[in-house]
Amino acid sequence: MNNKLLGIVGVLLLMVIALYTLDVNKNYKSLTPQLAVAQIMHNPDKKLPVFSLFDHNNDVFSNDNLKGNWSLVLFIYTHCPDVCPTELANMAMLKSYLESEQAAVIPNVVAITFDAPRDTPKVLKTYVAHFDKDFIGVSGNQKKIDQLVKYFGAYYERVIYDDNDKPVTLKRNDPLPSNAIEKGYIINHTATTYLVSPDGQVLAGFPISHNIKNMASDINLIVENY
Amino acid sequence: MLNNTKTILFALMALANFASANAAHPAHQDSHSNHKITITDPWIRSAPANAPALGLFMEISNNTDQNIKLVSAHVEGYKRIELHRTVSNNGMMKMIRQDFMPIPAQGELHLKPGSWHIMLIGPNRVPSKNEKIMASLKFNNGSTQTIHALVRKGKMMMKHHSKH
Repeated sequence: MNNKLLGIVGVLLLMVIALYTLDVNKNYKSLTPQLAVAQIMHNPDKKLPVFSLFDHNNDVFSNDNLKGNWSLVLFIYTHCPDVCPTELANMAMLKSYLESEQAAVIPNVVAITFDAPRDTPKVLKTYVAHFDKDFIGVSGNQKKIDQLVKYFGAYYERVIYDDNDKPVTLKRNDPLPSNAIEKGYIINHTATTYLVSPDGQVLAGFPISHNIKNMASDINLIVENY
Repeated sequence: MLNNTKTILFALMALANFASANAAHPAHQDSHSNHKITITDPWIRSAPANAPALGLFMEISNNTDQNIKLVSAHVEGYKRIELHRTVSNNGMMKMIRQDFMPIPAQGELHLKPGSWHIMLIGPNRVPSKNEKIMASLKFNNGSTQTIHALVRKGKMMMKHHSKH
């Protein structure tokens, strides 16, 4: 009798473990054939590192701020005249579209700067709010930002112009020349927007060619399967 | 008497036509042409009040049988103005300064987000939406074109281009 009971408890325990494991390691990749533009990035073994930065109101922005809500995270810099404003404008259009479609989930948009020396929280506050008042600009220690850039699989490199007006690409750890802020520099960068789940997992990436309707349908599909 | 009335009526109609044609003229400021070069829909992307750099876009048509280069642009109230091209290379968006922009003979060059653009750096004041900003463009055939670029939101999404 006791053995039978133990057996039943054992089987139930295995079922619970199996269900739990199945849930945590959900195979989002199986959604790929149905996705229009998103690239699944989910990797349960790769946890979001602990980070602590500042939002555009100078309040701490950390892992906790990503928890409990869906987020679209992208990396930008405000001296960018072309790609970054395009991305932010597209995010504003996406948000309006999701609202008009009464989507179940409208993710927060979090724009983290690649360029902490120039993009202080104050600068980001004016800049990011231009595209949508609810967007969150994030800045802080450049090394901490770099850790996040690496984790998300993004990349950037700073380009300065030397005295002969020739472009020079700085290596990641090269310090900025003392006159770089005054002379100006540009940043070459990847331009993917990342979908982060309410438990802080990066589930998918959207490359720059944002088609709003495709992006919205992919977000809905991933949210439904969460 | 009848003839006089007819003449006056005709004159009034002609005057009305002339006035309406002139009134309509400002609506066509989005196309600038000097026969050799036509510039269509010049626009500046509306930007945050503290934006350090803005993008100026347009379509330039070369109506001649010679290749033409845009060599510089001038707009009042900016620290520096540069010609740029954004190129995508394995997901990396690179903005590359250009010495000129080539407009092929009997062809066009489309300056648009994610591609060729004129970069307006260090504005004294970021223009507001719906303002029209005067810019002059200098070409290597010796001609200069003055345009009025409308400040507006971008209409089009960026497409993924590795080459244009």
